[in-house]
Amino acid sequence: MTCHQLDELIEAIAEGERPPADGEAHMATCPRCTASLAVARALDRTLQARDVPAPPPGFTARVMQRVGQERWRTEQIVDIGFNIAITLGVGLIIIGGLALAYSFGWLTVDRPTIEALGAAVQPWLSRLADDLRTVVLAALLLTSALALWWWVEGESSL
Amino acid sequence: MMSEMNSTSEHELVERCREGDEQAFRELVERYKGLVFALVARSISDPARAEDMSQEVFLRVHRGLPYFRGESRLSTWIYRVAVNLLMAEPRPAPTEPLDGTGEGRPREFGAADRSFEELTLRDRMEKAIRRLPVNYRVLIHGHYMKGLRYEELAEALDLPMGTVKTHLHRAKRQLRHLLETEFR
Repeated sequence: MTCHQLDELIEAIAEGERPPADGEAHMATCPRCTASLAVARALDRTLQARDVPAPPPGFTARVMQRVGQERWRTEQIVDIGFNIAITLGVGLIIIGGLALAYSFGWLTVDRPTIEALGAAVQPWLSRLADDLRTVVLAALLLTSALALWWWVEGESSL
Repeated sequence: MMSEMNSTSEHELVERCREGDEQAFRELVERYKGLVFALVARSISDPARAEDMSQEVFLRVHRGLPYFRGESRLSTWIYRVAVNLLMAEPRPAPTEPLDGTGEGRPREFGAADRSFEELTLRDRMEKAIRRLPVNYRVLIHGHYMKGLRYEELAEALDLPMGTVKTHLHRAKRQLRHLLETEFR
């Protein structure tokens, strides 16, 4: 057995494994490998004798503080989302109510106002109609991306 | 019997944490902070950074608890979270010489009564460990840390036990070579 071959086994021998017979024979005559084994054994002893670093005082309290801050931030985001959804919902209800009132004739709007409103909305509506396929695709892509992001976030936090 | 009791209380603790019980999460941090801090502090020499990173591990654990399926022990899973975070940490440039002449002394933890020789070897060894690739470093820290069994290490690193053993031997061999060549 050569020094190079034995070098591969030094750590296992230092841990207590028996070397092969030719390895033992090599070791008996090779001061370099004997010295390497001594270093490996000293390393093993030193590694085992190392003190375990202890967390500093107040560690748990600081972790709990950060958890609280994170929870607060999450709640804030949820709050903002909720407020936006409520605002949009209320807006839609008002528009729906007005449209219903108009269709039943409870609400009258004079012709010039309707024409002005129609003229303002018309270009947007026709543009949306032209790009409807693109808009739907973009919405689908955005939803998929958000779903994927949410899933990856959950997995990567592990 | 004891491990059965541990796993039951572990399961209860996880469930309580999932329900948003702050006291339960505090208990979890208390129980595992030693394991996490020991691994992180041994891998990162700056104590402030080590604490910050250990806190980050628990934040990730808090975020990840709803996804913890209980297929492994909680300690193993927490260890894996810590290892993943350490793996993502950029490796510092090897500027410290191993001969103990560097200005930045490694942090000593309660080593007042040790002999000078032991301290010197330990000092150089700590510096040499910091030069190892991060996967070898966490393997060495994990293996020589109290309370983490060989099987758990393999589970946490998602490697077969034989591979863990081989990698550990390689890590120690690299460490020995560093000490043999740069520490004479």
